[in-house]
Amino acid sequence: MSQRYFEDVSVGDELEPVEKIPTDEVATQFFAREGEPASTPERLPVSREGFSGVLVPGLLKVSWLTQYVSDWAGPAGRVRTVRVAYRRPDATNAPLVLTGNVVAKREEDGRHVVEIEVATMAEDGPSVRGAAQVELPARG
Amino acid sequence: MEASDESLITDAHRARIGVLSEPFPCVISAVDAQHVRDVLLDADPRYADDTGTAAPYALSILEPRPIGGLPPHIIPRILPGGVLTQSEWTWHRDFKYGEPLIARHQVVDIRERLGGRFGRSVLVIAKTEYRTSAGELVAETAHTVTQFDPSGRGTQE
Repeated sequence: MSQRYFEDVSVGDELEPVEKIPTDEVATQFFAREGEPASTPERLPVSREGFSGVLVPGLLKVSWLTQYVSDWAGPAGRVRTVRVAYRRPDATNAPLVLTGNVVAKREEDGRHVVEIEVATMAEDGPSVRGAAQVELPARG
Repeated sequence: MEASDESLITDAHRARIGVLSEPFPCVISAVDAQHVRDVLLDADPRYADDTGTAAPYALSILEPRPIGGLPPHIIPRILPGGVLTQSEWTWHRDFKYGEPLIARHQVVDIRERLGGRFGRSVLVIAKTEYRTSAGELVAETAHTVTQFDPSGRGTQE
């Protein structure tokens, strides 16, 4: 993981997309805790086309987006906030592509803050849209 | 049947806005932090076993499940259906394995909405603060749960 510095970031920069496959096991195991078995996954209602599936938990998608911007920022970066709107549910086993682009950067009380628009893109469009705020180190 | 013009949100519901819940002790154990890290296939060395530091998304371990499932005296159930529609996570510093934290929940807003994909619905916005026993704010969450009536019949309470 390489370090990203505030001076090297420009508004309009795109984060490299990352694909995630939310398998049934990932969706189920995400909420398993010490001493508690994995919970029964929530299922999507049967659609008009007869499709039904396991729901990808919203907090799993937020967690992936948090990991995504944290990795982008690098070891000395810090995620301050992640804020999302769930536009529609995702079923397991369909790939989700995490995307992001830098929409603002500023200095704030001596800290170097970058705003990133993020999304989880399903096959036919975004299922989650949101924004993240990260702090990056400055050179020198 | 026509929906009533009367608001579903009562004075009793409004009275809960801004009221902090009783404190709930919670902790991110090393086992749970590593489990979530493994599920997410996160190889970031900052959060490796021997660091004692949990990744930011370990906040998911502390979250109530389901988000809207907190006791009704904390989050009022106005309509029987509920779906999570917005989330916000804020971190003030890293989480440490095994550090005792205290969660306090509060409803910060309740709004009614007519129309849209859920029909007549109620948006309940709830915040949770996670503090140390010394009062240091470590993290905060805010979630919007959209309550709706799948049958279109009426209120829950």
